Amino acid sequence: MSEYKSVRVTQGRGGWGGPLTITPTADKPLIYSVTGGGIHPVAAKIAELTGGEPFDGFKSSAPFDKIAVAVIDCGGTARVGVYPMKKVLTVDVHATSPAGPLANFITEELFVSGVKPDNVEEA
Amino acid sequence: MNDTTAATRVLYESTVTGVGGQVEEFLGHGLLIFFGEDSPKELHDISVQHRPTVAEEGPRPGDTIVLGTHGMEILAVGDVVADNLLNLGHLDLKADGLTEPKLPGDVCVHPQTLPLLQPGDAFRIVRGGTGTTEVVT
Repeated sequence: MSEYKSVRVTQGRGGWGGPLTITPTADKPLIYSVTGGGIHPVAAKIAELTGGEPFDGFKSSAPFDKIAVAVIDCGGTARVGVYPMKKVLTVDVHATSPAGPLANFITEELFVSGVKPDNVEEA
Repeated sequence: MNDTTAATRVLYESTVTGVGGQVEEFLGHGLLIFFGEDSPKELHDISVQHRPTVAEEGPRPGDTIVLGTHGMEILAVGDVVADNLLNLGHLDLKADGLTEPKLPGDVCVHPQTLPLLQPGDAFRIVRGGTGTTEVVT
């Protein structure tokens, strides 16, 4: 089962949460980018290092149980909560902290923010 | 009512196409979330979906956001609002009265009851022209 590798994602400057270890599997292969302008560089790096499949959430939809990690460019209210609420590992490229109506779903085990490509390393 | 119509510019014009099941509850927190109708469906429950026909520019303080027949003065705009709106049709509207946004995705207006939108309603951002409470149609 060495088809996929793991990465460790740490919080960037001003960020919150994590670190997260992300390991795609055959059942959960998707590096799900819910960001403007296609696959975000952070998602691209996670996909490159893990062997996961980059997936643009604004182009088509995927079931939650196929998602290894969701990469978002959320300004702090909506997307930061939606994916942790579904127990999906979530990486925000903006340096947000738990807030908004879904804040109680956002935990250090599920969420890390302020992430730049340099915060993604082989585990 | 006023003579500034000629100076009014529509920065963003859209029509509501769907309203998620959690939207009404969030109105009680002074929060209204928008996403373009092409957004992933897991975001639909928490948001108003819409289909833009004009998407020229993000808002800045002093602009008016029009929801249905309800116009509101924009007090503050976070750093990522323009990208969110123009790329994703996404906007977080907060009736918190802040003049400095608490979060980078926030658009702040005076404390008030935000409207529960319906499919077919307008979602528009206008610069110049009418005051804060006039209906712009």
